[in-house]
Amino acid sequence: MTLIILGLGSSALAQTYNTFEPSKTQFMLRGYGHTGFEYLDTGGEQESTFLGATFAPIFLYKHSDKLMFEAELEFELEGNELKTGLEYADVMYVLNKHMTVRAGKFLLPFGTFMERLHPAWINRLPSRPLGFGHDGIAPASDIGVELRGAFDLGGPKLNYAVYVTNGPRIKDGSEEPEEAGMLDFGYYEDVNKAKALGGRIGLLPLSDSSMEWGISAYTTNSTGAEDSDYKDVGAFLWALDLSYVKSITPLQGVVDIKAQYNSSNVDTATYYEIEDGISEPYSFDNQSSSFYTQLSYSPIMSGSDFIKQLEFVGRYSDFNAPEGAEWEEKSTQYAFGLNYWLSWRSVVKFSYQTTKMEGGHDSDGTTRTNGLFVHWAIGF
Amino acid sequence: MKTTTNFKAAIILSVMASIMVACSSNKKPIATDTATEVAGSEVDFKIEKSGAQLWGEVCNRCHIAPSPADYNDTDWETISLHMRVRANLTEEEITKIESFLKSAN
Repeated sequence: MTLIILGLGSSALAQTYNTFEPSKTQFMLRGYGHTGFEYLDTGGEQESTFLGATFAPIFLYKHSDKLMFEAELEFELEGNELKTGLEYADVMYVLNKHMTVRAGKFLLPFGTFMERLHPAWINRLPSRPLGFGHDGIAPASDIGVELRGAFDLGGPKLNYAVYVTNGPRIKDGSEEPEEAGMLDFGYYEDVNKAKALGGRIGLLPLSDSSMEWGISAYTTNSTGAEDSDYKDVGAFLWALDLSYVKSITPLQGVVDIKAQYNSSNVDTATYYEIEDGISEPYSFDNQSSSFYTQLSYSPIMSGSDFIKQLEFVGRYSDFNAPEGAEWEEKSTQYAFGLNYWLSWRSVVKFSYQTTKMEGGHDSDGTTRTNGLFVHWAIGF
Repeated sequence: MKTTTNFKAAIILSVMASIMVACSSNKKPIATDTATEVAGSEVDFKIEKSGAQLWGEVCNRCHIAPSPADYNDTDWETISLHMRVRANLTEEEITKIESFLKSAN
């Protein structure tokens, strides 16, 4: 009798234990969040504020060793309003060891900043370089299909990505006259039959993968609606990026260099501005560019537990919008930061940033903005 | 202008496609860097990096290399597939890194 009870008990225990075995499919919640404080002085006008927290959950569903779905949501308080967004949502399948296909809304490999470096717990400074984000010239995400993969060249490595997406919409000025001629990469609905083609090739020439050079291209034959005057306005963008991350013993730490140059060329078109109730046509050479380079140093080999958690950062960036456009602008920015890493995915950032902007939306003069930032970011 | 745009795009995409095709041979990689594991015969001498070494080199290209103890084996499998695609890593790199993370957590 005792043996029967023990047998039944062990069987029940085994069944209970089995429920803790990994399932064939796996679901995981990751993401990041950040908050902070900012003090800005814009041409003598000061403002300071605690920033509403930003929460960006990432959902990962691994169906098998080859099939996965990933999605990232964004929740951000802007003033009193909760802004929501879908950063990406795509399904991916590993076709072979050198090729994966993705479909859906995905981050575009146009350079590396937006695809790999922009999350707050990865970006070494609280802000993005000029030319990225709202009103930026570098496309961040789009809806379409992509092939990507990587090769080992016997020490050096090479990676690639090619994609077809809906493409951007050109702002014709009917809604926002001061932005006429600007490409809207956040307009995901396809406004015409043309698609955008793009790709990036990355080369890691050193066997320790410490350096990566990348070249990206992005083009479309049409950015306007089928029935609009801007149907034949095409665009061609390209970018160069560099990454160098190396542990250097004489410096007792890690040196991290990042850089990216973006160029945007949009076909010349005629736009209209209203002056004294009269519509006046105008056009301009629609070429924009932006550049950033960033250097950071982490003394991780220091004997002090406090010092080895520190990181020193400096970044230069500039942005040039077309001369003659309503949004004509020449800006330069310097940013300096001191970070303290609480863990590999949680960082407190202290930074100072000064930006000189000539032109800009509805502005003809020069504006200088100085800012102090304290941000706390955590990945999970 | 439209023709010029098409021409530039065609050149760049052709270069990309050519490199992809050229690199898709089955030639075995031969590394000459610091050895942590040695494999191969007298004819085909191949030095391979360990998962720990790749973990230090590859993850740090974008962010600080993660602590293996922060996730269990199942989670690392999911994260590895995600990172393989996000960072465009080779199959060998992610396989070795995943094995290291699962062995060290």
